[in-house]
Order: sequence, then C-alpha cells, then structure tokens
Amino acid sequence: MTKMRSDRLKIVFMLCLAFITIGGQHFESKVAQLLRDETEDIKCFVEVKDLTCFWEEEEERNNLHDQYTFTYSYENKNKMACVVSSLSLLGSNKTVFFCKLPKTPFFTPLDVQVFRDGRVLYSRSLNAENFWFLDPPRNLTVMTSGKEGQLNVSWLPPLLKYIDDSLIYEVRYAVEGSNMGKVEVIKVSTMLVLLGLQPYTRYKVWVRVKPDGVAYKGYWSAWTEPVLGVTQPSGTCFLMLLETKNLFLLKKLWPDIPSPEHKFPGLFTIYKGDFKEWMSQNNGSMWGRSVHVYTEELPSPLEVLSEVSLTSHGTSQREERQAVEEDKEKESERSDSGLTDRWQEPPEAYCLVEQLRALQENPESLSQSLLLQSHDTYVTLNQNSQGDDERQVDDVFEETLPLQMLFTTAGRMSLNTSHSDLGSLQQSSGSGRLSSQSSFEYPNHTWPPKGPGYAYMAVADSGVSMDYSPMSSSRIAALGRHRMYTNDYKNEIFLHKWPLSGQHTQSGSESCMGPGW
Amino acid sequence: MQLLCILCIWTRPGLSSPLRPICDLRVLNHFIKEAWDAEAAMRACQDACNIATNFTAPLTRVDFDDWEAMNIEEQAQEVQSGLHVLNEAISSLQASNQTDVLQSHIDASISNIASIRQVLRSLSIPEYVPPTSGGEDKEMQKVSSISELFQVHINFLRGKVHLLLANAPVCHQGVS
Repeated sequence: MTKMRSDRLKIVFMLCLAFITIGGQHFESKVAQLLRDETEDIKCFVEVKDLTCFWEEEEERNNLHDQYTFTYSYENKNKMACVVSSLSLLGSNKTVFFCKLPKTPFFTPLDVQVFRDGRVLYSRSLNAENFWFLDPPRNLTVMTSGKEGQLNVSWLPPLLKYIDDSLIYEVRYAVEGSNMGKVEVIKVSTMLVLLGLQPYTRYKVWVRVKPDGVAYKGYWSAWTEPVLGVTQPSGTCFLMLLETKNLFLLKKLWPDIPSPEHKFPGLFTIYKGDFKEWMSQNNGSMWGRSVHVYTEELPSPLEVLSEVSLTSHGTSQREERQAVEEDKEKESERSDSGLTDRWQEPPEAYCLVEQLRALQENPESLSQSLLLQSHDTYVTLNQNSQGDDERQVDDVFEETLPLQMLFTTAGRMSLNTSHSDLGSLQQSSGSGRLSSQSSFEYPNHTWPPKGPGYAYMAVADSGVSMDYSPMSSSRIAALGRHRMYTNDYKNEIFLHKWPLSGQHTQSGSESCMGPGW
Repeated sequence: MQLLCILCIWTRPGLSSPLRPICDLRVLNHFIKEAWDAEAAMRACQDACNIATNFTAPLTRVDFDDWEAMNIEEQAQEVQSGLHVLNEAISSLQASNQTDVLQSHIDASISNIASIRQVLRSLSIPEYVPPTSGGEDKEMQKVSSISELFQVHINFLRGKVHLLLANAPVCHQGVS
C-alpha cells in the first residue's frame, strides 16, 4: 500500500514536471533569445498580459537570488516590489533572475530597478506595450490553390484579444532542400497566396508574427515549424498526367475485349457479319489460314489419333475429362458428330490435358522440343480401319479442350499434299481409307509405322484457331509407337470438304496422343 | 490620404445627415503615426522646448482587466475627457513662440484630435460631458514639459482611444 502510494506520487511528480517543462518551453526560448539579442541589462518582454523582466546572474555569485530586489513604479507613485525567481537555462550554464509584474500597467512609462545589497544594480524606464514577445502563429497550413505556381498559406493568430488587429506576419518559403528563400510581409490577414512558384515543386513554409509598431511594438516571434506544400504541375504536364491516369483507369474499368476481327478481314466491315457470304467470297483462301471459333460452336470432324497408353494418369485425367464432359454436354445439341462415346482413359500421361498442363508448367519445353509447330497437320490413313477404329472410337477426347499443344514430328507422308488443305488430302489420298482424323504427336515418341497406307497430318489446335499444314514424309517416319487418340471436330465446313468425315463423326471417336515429356 | 479624404467628406461642416461609422482602424493609426512624429520631434527639442509651466494632461495607464470591466459609457467618458484636456493643453502651445517645425506638429495634433472626435461621433460614442459643479472630474496628471506632454499625447491615442475604437459596439454588430 505504501509502495503503491509512493509510485503514484512519483507518477504525479513526473507529470507535473513534464507539464511545467512543456509549458515553459516558449518562456525559456524567449529568455534565451533576448539574452543573445538584447543589450539592456534588464531585459523585459510581455507574453500575454504581464511584463517579465530578467537579468543574468553576476559572475562570482553563487545563485543566491535572495540578495536581489526588483522594484517598479509608474505615474510618480511609490515603488512596488516584485518577487524574484531564478531559472537555469537548459543547454547553457547560464542562470537568470526574473520577475513577473502583477497587473502590468500599459501605455505609461514604467521605471524598473534591480537592487543588490541595498544598492541599485540595474535600472530601466520602458513602456510595457512596446515589448510584446508573442508565441508563433498556430495551425500553419499550406495547400495547393488549384492554379499553376501558387500555394495557399493560412494560419491562426496568437490568442490575444486586443492586439490581433495590430499584427504583421512574415511568411518565409523556399524550395525544399534549398537555402535560398523569399519572405512576404502581410498585415493583419492570416492567409496569403504565394505566387510565381515553380510548378510541381515541394516548398517549405514558415510564419512568424510581431505587433505592427503603431499601437503596439515588440519582437519577432519564433518561426513556426515548417510545413510542406507541393505546387501543381504545369498545364501541359498536368494534362498529360491526367490523361495518362484517365486512360489507365479506363483500361482497368473497361478493358479491351479481344476481337478476332483481324482474322476475318472484311467479315464485319464489308459483309456485316454474314459469315456465309464472307465464306463464299473467301472460299479458296480460307484453308490456308488459321481457322477460328469453330471449336465450340462448330466442332471439327477430325479425329486425333494416338497410340499412347495413358493408364498411369487416370485419376487426374478423369477429373479433366469430367470437366470436359460438362462442356461436351452443352454442345451435344449442336453436334451431330456423335461424340457420345468416349475413350477409355489411357493409362499413361499422354492425354492432351496432361500435355497442356505439362506445357504450362514448363513452357520452355515448347521451344526446346523443336517439335511443336502450329502448322503441322496429321491425318491417319488407317489400313485396317474397321477394327482399329472401333477400338479407337472408344478413346474419344473432348474436342472442346483448349488444344494448345503444338507438336511436330518427322515422318513421311504418303500423301502428296501441297498445302494444308484437308480437301487436298482428300483429293490426293492414296491407298486405304482416308480417315478424317487428326493426331497430336509429341516429339519424344515416334509413331509406329503403320505401313505405307498411313498418312498423317499434324493438327495443331490452339483452342481458338486451327492451323492445318501438310506434314513432311520424313516426319512421319519419326513417329513413335503410340496409341493414337482420335478427335472428332464437329466442323461442318470440314464435313463439307471431307466426305469421309461423316464416318468418323458418327463414330465419335476422339483421341489424345502424346508422349511423356 | 484616401482615408483622410473620406473623413473630410463625412465630417464637412453643414452636413446634417448622420455620419457613417468609421470602423477602419487605419484612420486612427494615421493619427497615431503623426503623434509619434510629434513626440519624436519634441523629444529632440529638449532644452529649446522646455517651457516653465505645467500642463494638465489625462492619465494614460491601461490595465486590460480593469478596462474590460468598464462599460462603454465609462470607457467613452474616459476617452472624451482625456481628448478634451489634451486639446486644451496642446492648443495653449499655439500662442508660444515655437519653431515652424514644432508649430506644424502642434497644429497637426490639434487637427487630429478634432478628427478623432468626429470618428467617435460616427461610432455613436457619447460626447464629453464636463463635470457639474461639485462633481469630480476624471483623474489627471501634471506634466512640466512639451516633450512630456506629447508623450502623454501618443500614449493616450495608442492606449485608451485605440481600445475604444477597436471595440466600438457599432463596428462589431452581428459578430458573435
């Protein structure tokens, strides 16, 4: 209990000490300044309503303030005594003695004297209204004015009733970090617009105050703490910044929607979106160009054949296939390719989805493989088509998957194809039945030689466009032994161009082939 | 000069219409600055300006707390009586043989006191009422030099007159 009380007393004492210290900071700083600047032996100043006079301790003395006597008189009246106190200045070894006059008389001569040991040490005659030493202005604020090269500066005056109409202020401002500044003097008003400033520049601003010297006189107050302000950028720069910001915001809020219009020159501008008309006008050139948009709306009749077994990645592939199935269900109404039968999931990781995932995880493999070329197209010519087809029919791979896997294989193409046109394949098909199948092959494996009856067209389907190009015969020979997936694309254009596609669309076979990376 | 012109127009003789309030303290500040000049000139005069006579002059001391405790009528009477006494004391110097420079200061001071009275009238400040017989006048002081008289003059204008005009009720109507 005693300890608690002692602790509380200590806390109270510390708080009081802090309060006194904070409250006396202005007083002590004013005393210190006058010690430097004022030459009179008795230095006096008025803070609010009372005059304070002080003097330095004489040398050879031992801070015995009791030996000093301070008196004051006015209007020929008797002298009056004032209580003397002492103050040790922080930061210096000086001690001063001071007296604060109670009920200070203004606008009349005041005679003050300091006595020591009965003898006059110092004396002075002064008018108290001539020695105001105010606190710095309050709440200094610097704001942009909205105009180029300007800053609005405002502050609050000292809290004095009668003197506020008789004050002048000095506003000092300089570019941040610069020692060169300017000063503006303003009377009575507590706001100022700084003009002619550099655009988009940070300025430091200070303010101080003193009486105007007419009714009242005094010393300049201390400067306020500096306040920073930034001028607006110049007109051109500001407009550019504003425009850039607006464009940025515009892009964020309304991002550009990708348009495939550039892939269909004239479709919208000339043919007003009439695709059939556009197709009829662009019949011959279309097959040498990437085909877009058909993967979801108009599935291609092509089948992707693969001989790769994908048993080891059944689970993950099944999850992907389940997702694909949902998409497939949506297209079932549009589709007449009969993509209802699905392949039994190959056990090994050569499903297209896995290929896609692998490629996404390791995009460098795309360049390193030297194999994936978007322009390669494969068409299988299945000599023993019936049985193999039936087996392959079961391995249907959803065509709506984002088929971004691109690959090339070295192989020999038995077909004489001069361009990536399925129609041309049809025309140039040799022995065997040309199946409307496309296959995705991966470089690390080669296709099993199926015999001379096989022809392959590598099909690269990015999910948006399909590039068809003939595969060289040398690449065919390099095809590895893989189980092939067939992939039916429900594309009525291909149906139109490839008579045999109808068989495979009915089979609904899809395949996914690819090597293990 | 513009402020003085405004004052002249407002205070020209024969003007029967009431004066518009002159609340701008720059008018009084102008008179105070001229009083400063006169006091400085008289202080420099020293021996040449010493006249062996006493002047009755008003007290100029102001205690802000005591002043705030007075009502407008008491403050007005304090100022009006002091201006009256000052006017009489300074006017008595016109008959003395002074230099032209000093004479101009004396004439300007008399003119400025009259102008200040007009400003007070525009602010509806009660006029000076001489004490009736048996009544006590405001406390005064005695000064023995021209220099001291003009010190009283400047201190009275800066103090009591300035406080009265700065806080005239007419100039602060509608302000909380």
